[in-house]
Amino acid sequence: MQLTKRGLLRTALSTAAAVALVGADARIAQAEAGDAIRPLTLISRAQAANPQQYQAAELIAQAWRQLGLEIEVQGLPRPQQSDAVWYNRDTWDLTMWQMVGRPERSDPDEFVYNLFHSTTMEKGYNFVGYVNPEYDKIAEQQRLITNKDERKVLIDQAQDIIDRDQVYAFLVHPMKVYAFDSSVWAADSMVEQPGLGIKNFWTFVGAEPVGDTKDMILNSSDELNAINPFYISGATDSWITELIWDRMMRIGSDGLPKPWAAESVEWSDDGTEVTLTLREGMMWHDGEPVTTDDVIFSFTAPAEGTNAPMYKPFVSNIAGIEATDDRTVVMTLNEPNAAFETSTLAKLNLVPEHVWAPLLENLTEGETAEAVLEESRIGSGPFKFDRWVTQQEVVLSANADHWSAPKMDRWILRIVLNVEAALGMLRSGEVNFMSDYTGDPELLLQAAEEDGDLEVVQSVDIGFQYLAFNLRRPPFDDAAFRRALSAAINRDLIQKAAWNGFAVKANSHVSPALEFWHKAGIADGLQTGMDLAKSILDEAGYEMVDGRLHYPAGGTEQFAD
Amino acid sequence: MGYVAKRFLQMIFVLWTVATILFFMFRLMPGTPLAAFIDNTTTAEQQDALIAQFGLDKSLGEQYFLFLWNLLQGDLGQSFFFKKPVLEVVWQVFPNSVILTLTSLIIAYLFGIVVGAYLAWKRGSWVEGVGIPLVLTTRAAPEFWLGMVLLAFFSFHLGWFPSGGANTSGSEWQSGWSRLTSADFLSHLALPAITLAIYLQGLPLLLMRSNMLNVLQEEFITMARMKGLSTWTIVMRHAARNALLPVATAFALGIGGAVGGNVVVETVFSWPGIGRLLVNAVSASDYPLAQGAFLMITFVLVVMNFIADITYHLLDPRVRVAANG
Repeated sequence: MQLTKRGLLRTALSTAAAVALVGADARIAQAEAGDAIRPLTLISRAQAANPQQYQAAELIAQAWRQLGLEIEVQGLPRPQQSDAVWYNRDTWDLTMWQMVGRPERSDPDEFVYNLFHSTTMEKGYNFVGYVNPEYDKIAEQQRLITNKDERKVLIDQAQDIIDRDQVYAFLVHPMKVYAFDSSVWAADSMVEQPGLGIKNFWTFVGAEPVGDTKDMILNSSDELNAINPFYISGATDSWITELIWDRMMRIGSDGLPKPWAAESVEWSDDGTEVTLTLREGMMWHDGEPVTTDDVIFSFTAPAEGTNAPMYKPFVSNIAGIEATDDRTVVMTLNEPNAAFETSTLAKLNLVPEHVWAPLLENLTEGETAEAVLEESRIGSGPFKFDRWVTQQEVVLSANADHWSAPKMDRWILRIVLNVEAALGMLRSGEVNFMSDYTGDPELLLQAAEEDGDLEVVQSVDIGFQYLAFNLRRPPFDDAAFRRALSAAINRDLIQKAAWNGFAVKANSHVSPALEFWHKAGIADGLQTGMDLAKSILDEAGYEMVDGRLHYPAGGTEQFAD
Repeated sequence: MGYVAKRFLQMIFVLWTVATILFFMFRLMPGTPLAAFIDNTTTAEQQDALIAQFGLDKSLGEQYFLFLWNLLQGDLGQSFFFKKPVLEVVWQVFPNSVILTLTSLIIAYLFGIVVGAYLAWKRGSWVEGVGIPLVLTTRAAPEFWLGMVLLAFFSFHLGWFPSGGANTSGSEWQSGWSRLTSADFLSHLALPAITLAIYLQGLPLLLMRSNMLNVLQEEFITMARMKGLSTWTIVMRHAARNALLPVATAFALGIGGAVGGNVVVETVFSWPGIGRLLVNAVSASDYPLAQGAFLMITFVLVVMNFIADITYHLLDPRVRVAANG
């Protein structure tokens, strides 16, 4: 069935009518309501760690109490929250959660497939336990279709289904807020990448120094754990590895993959064979030439054993890879994959075989490539690894021999835990590119206004903030119940009060930052309001008894303490 | 020497107890080291591989004996996240912590001893009336608040000192020693050291003052006055020397305590130190690193305690008699 807006509306209406009829019948058969719904706990990050999320949780709890639910907000540190939600999937009811933006998430595949496909329900991203064969089919199909417009139809359907079922109560796509000192960096050399903002590869390669300062000094509020081409420990190191190691393709500033170390990327008609031509004259940082053997090694090493568990899934679709001459590599795939360029060619780091092959051979059993890292940070990228001083800074220097050589001399990342101090550093020039700001954006704007030289750039995130229901536990298995709770949330209020206006309302797992894939109007199309919430609950048979919401007749509480 | 040997055995016992408690505490806490890897599309198979790699697939008892055996050989294990030996990771930031701690302790104790003695002498005067509440207020002020105020004024406003870190971005040094003795390092050290010193000065000051008040009651002070000695000589040479012993003990213990207790100051000033390392390790469930860092801190604390005890024993005949009797 082709899903259209009208069709969807009709389905929704008839479902609602059917539910209402069943409800009415049940009420005639048994006048008594079901059990009272148990007191519920809404898990959130602790207030100090994520004030926006915590405040949103409080606002949601307040609204839901008016529906007759007993809700308590519980702030937890991240490890404890993960432990409850991710590793003990049967134990929780409601949690605040977030998905963050990354360059490879510029293709909707990762979110569309992983978040809701039933195969990822046990251990993967589908931690809410959503099972819908119709959705599974769409998620699988969209991967196989290489025609963009045809694929778009499926991505729209996927968004519609999640909207209809309200598997998540989406809240907002936050704004990414970064700032730089325009007396050090030319404002027109900053590149804004959709969903990522100005903190991206293209800015770092293209940033033009205005005066004598040629070092870009950035800040990170996270402690860094690794810099390794085969292992990513967090958001910060993922954008360091991106600079040191080249990839066959890169996500361009328009969000689409572009040939990079490959001069050209050509697909066969059935989408199962890709021919990559390596750029001429590429060199590793140690002076050795980049060869097709290195390319083959980079895509085969992660597949073997436990070398690089983190990258293994991204090369598992490669059936064969061979060099046809000294600059051409041909890959054959097990099946066509629309996201292959983004999730594999633009994701895997090219590593020198002469450095890594001996390292990998020496691995003792069970150890992974993640363990061998020192002195192995040789890439071919526009920046060379210089040094990393624990808890202080990472220094990269420009690779002047690169075909896309940076215009700055050094790229220095400072670890600054105190966000106020980071702001002070930006004003005093100790930092000239604020790449991590977790404080109130209003303060940053104010500082920029006082300073005169600072420029603040905001962009909508690929990631999003949401509230997840545990669909394994009634009443959250009931889509009507979820729709009602979602309708009771005042997203305008949350956007203004919790995020200070630095966010846009969300109702889809495909961000408006991905302009082509996002279904326009899906956030504004969501009907909300307290009265609507109450009427949905009423139609679904839920009853209010003495101020407490009860299950529909016959419904029993299985999870009461 | 029997006393010293006994104390030494007790110290070993304390270290073993702490090591044991640390081992079980981290493993029984909610949270798993895998949580830090969640964001990275780990599959079930990869999770198992990680668990095996961390040695967490072995029984708790087996892990415990391995841990003790390695510890006896001076091996604290490998950090899960840095993928490096714990000692190496800890050693990278340990000197920073020690320097920050020692600098601020010395400032705090010098200031505390002198001002404490002075306030005792000025008992009942307006100086005491203003001084004591002032000391109590600064002592009670939270470190992060104090740090932020100093940052806002001396760094953001006046621009005299840098706003964080231990060295200027991208600066290079011939050796660790040349780094630690550079003007650059000292200017970065100033604000955190002053913050910590202000926080620490209350204890030696009040301790010194109350000891002085006791000593000043003693007959030999009256005697000194009768001899017609100057105020300065009486306070500093006669009274203060006698009042100093407990303060010296507090100093030794302070070194141990402050090495691990600087998380707040380290965070406010982005100072690379063992406290931050510890917080990071605990929140990421990096068991070996957290254990190792805690053990290092415990070790310093227990050894300082031991030294304080022995010194006391040697310095004060009364303690010696009590111990032997």
